[in-house]
Amino acid sequence: MKRRWFGGLRSDWQLLRQSRDIQGRARTPRTAQPHEIVTRPSPFGTNWARTPVVQAARQVIQTGLLKPVTWNTVKPDVEGLDHLDNLDGPVVFVANHSSHLDAPLIIGSVPTRLRRRLAVGAAADYFFDKKWAAVITAVVFNAFPIERRGSDRRRSLAPQLLADGWSLLLFPEGTRSEDGWMTPPRLGPAHLCVQRRVPMVPVVLRGTFAAMPRDVNWRPGQHRVVVRYGKPIHPEPNEGARALHARMMSALARLWAEDELGWYGSLRAQAKGELSLPTGPLEIASTDSAPAEGPRAVVPNGSWRRVWEASRPMPPTRKKR
Amino acid sequence: MSRPGFVLEVDERTPALLMHEGEGFRLEKLPLGSRVIYPPESLPGIRDVDEAIRQALAAPIGRPPLEELLYAGMRLTIVFDDLSIPLPPMQTPDVRQRIIEQVLELAAGKGVDDVELIAGNALHRRMTPAELKRTVGDRVYRSFFPDHLKNHDAEDRENLLEIGHTRHGEVVEINRRAAESDLIVYVNVNLTAMSGGPKSVSVGLASYRSLKHHHNVHTLRNSKSFNDPPNSAMHHSYNRMAELLASNVNIFQIETTVNNNLFPKQLDFLNKREWEWNLKDQASFLAVKRANDLVPPAKRRQIWHKTAAPYGITGVHAGDPAEVHPITMKNVLRQQLTEVNGPSDIGIWGLPYICPYNVNSIMNPILVMSLSLGYFFNLYRNQPIVRPGGVAIIYHPVQNEFHSVHHPSYIDFFEEVLAETTDPVAIETKFEEQFATDPWYIHLYRNSYAYHGVHPLYMWYWGAHALEHLGDVIFVGGDRKTTARMGFRSASTLNDALEMARERVGSSPTITYQHTPPLSMADVR
Repeated sequence: MKRRWFGGLRSDWQLLRQSRDIQGRARTPRTAQPHEIVTRPSPFGTNWARTPVVQAARQVIQTGLLKPVTWNTVKPDVEGLDHLDNLDGPVVFVANHSSHLDAPLIIGSVPTRLRRRLAVGAAADYFFDKKWAAVITAVVFNAFPIERRGSDRRRSLAPQLLADGWSLLLFPEGTRSEDGWMTPPRLGPAHLCVQRRVPMVPVVLRGTFAAMPRDVNWRPGQHRVVVRYGKPIHPEPNEGARALHARMMSALARLWAEDELGWYGSLRAQAKGELSLPTGPLEIASTDSAPAEGPRAVVPNGSWRRVWEASRPMPPTRKKR
Repeated sequence: MSRPGFVLEVDERTPALLMHEGEGFRLEKLPLGSRVIYPPESLPGIRDVDEAIRQALAAPIGRPPLEELLYAGMRLTIVFDDLSIPLPPMQTPDVRQRIIEQVLELAAGKGVDDVELIAGNALHRRMTPAELKRTVGDRVYRSFFPDHLKNHDAEDRENLLEIGHTRHGEVVEINRRAAESDLIVYVNVNLTAMSGGPKSVSVGLASYRSLKHHHNVHTLRNSKSFNDPPNSAMHHSYNRMAELLASNVNIFQIETTVNNNLFPKQLDFLNKREWEWNLKDQASFLAVKRANDLVPPAKRRQIWHKTAAPYGITGVHAGDPAEVHPITMKNVLRQQLTEVNGPSDIGIWGLPYICPYNVNSIMNPILVMSLSLGYFFNLYRNQPIVRPGGVAIIYHPVQNEFHSVHHPSYIDFFEEVLAETTDPVAIETKFEEQFATDPWYIHLYRNSYAYHGVHPLYMWYWGAHALEHLGDVIFVGGDRKTTARMGFRSASTLNDALEMARERVGSSPTITYQHTPPLSMADVR
């Protein structure tokens, strides 16, 4: 009888204790938790970062700190600045993006008259999720938040900035490349330029992935990088965003190909329609020694071989325009 | 405010969940990812029930106030649901008593002398004097019993009246006294969505001749489910009969609904969600379970059947049966309906100690089948919680035990019929008439306290839709021989049952546990 009493009680007790703490409390199963309406924090305001005082401070930081540090970290070759001679802004710079060096390189290389009125679009979920990071980003880069995902995206600040006479630096890929090659850019910058009737300046950065790839925040090594500005693309009358977007992609592809084909070669390849967006080698000869007509392997995205190609150091000799 | 019903997905935080198993209960750890259907929390009951009744009688729906329908010299028959509802029985005073007392107050005021009270028990066993007294209250009992407070007798040919035939040729035959009355006041309790409405008079006061039109295998197989009247062939038949009755008999229906407050304070943990059990609930669980497991079986049954539910009344509506019932249905569904996303491979049910046909009695194996594959399986709308060909896992000891006074024909059905076949159609074809017309069963039904001879067959038909739909039925803790006799299988543990179910549903089946009682109805989308 005693055994029956306590044996059953013990097993009941053990079963009852499961998933309960020492005070007998059970955590509410996830699907039983009451529905809570997530209140989003109010957006981080950046208007203060464009006041004269902060602007003055930013000029000091950018010219006295950001540019020297960047130029000491890598060896930049800046090309095509002459295309910007006749531009006073506002203008939208669109560039490929594979490194944290990209924004400092462009900010450090654009003419001062444009830099003073340049705002940088930065990922809201990355640069503006912590207040201290948001303050630094806003002060140093004159950054404004861009919502990259989510169904409840906030209205972008970009059109208003253009209307107020600010030039923008946007990275239409939305995030840094995982393997150094470009991913399909979004239509946003083209829409902006068409709506606000402002020119778009394509910029290609090469070598920055090798110098400071994703996951690496600081790697001084005096890698050679190229910052290449293209000709401004002015929206034609009645031109749609998609057409402008296509012209932008073509320009980026040509600027990218200049390193391999030279300026004239890239122009000819563009004219022949041989260029496409530098999305990386989808096919690579199975071995370096294999003949050109030999079997070629398909290289999946994220493959080490794509990274290998993208991180190949830039040749020391520059191809002259 | 009561929280709505919901579907829990078992995760690593989920404690062991309560599972009823006849006159006992246990905790069971369900596999991760299993779904558990919880009904909405018990709705608040009406504070002043007597006032709600008074208002319902004074301002009925689709009828003049009851007082205006009463006059001196009239024949008034008050019919009320028998002890099969609600379950467990209601703590006294029963809401039927409260209503009947107010109806009689009005009738007395109007000088009505010819009043008869009838329990609408159809082919159920007669209610004992003590049960009648408990239902209608001492004052009514003393004034009317035994001459004018009776059970309906479905085999008293002299006192049955054929009203006519429906357009489908169904015979409508009900209690003569009620049919010849100037007014029938029907007082019901709606515990499930199948109860009340057109069912009350057409079933409660009917005879076998009338009942067999809807209590048959074909109708029940086409009632998907019988708790969803628009999709229930059984309710379509009720409706046709009710239409015929409405044009021949004057019925004033008073419908009530109850909340899900099924267990008294000392068993409060049975009404709560397991992760919300506080230390007191856990101590109560251990103490009650231990005591329940150790007490002798006869005493245990007695204790359970003495447990009365402290229901709250969620609605009292009176008037024309066809106009009142939709409001009643809304109240029932408000308390029981939980939306579920699609069926699963396995459905799990834990059966309690009581079903409509074993109040103060024994839940024999046929009633276990009827409660699980009839009542609980059909607690759905749109589609069952188990996919076609899926497996039902049911917790009950399924002991080979019968109440010889209440269920004599059940014993013969189990021993003789089920030994030959478990196919509902074969049973209906070969045995129904024999059981329905057996003079000894009829004698016991009329003079003792026995269920009608055909009742066990009806219970078997009740599960006909589930038998056709399911691939296998496994009873956890079920007596092996008894379950085998009924064509089912038994397992010692849930893990064994899941292992046995593998041959039907594979090794990683989806599982849904319908956590009831309190009653939950799944709206399976």
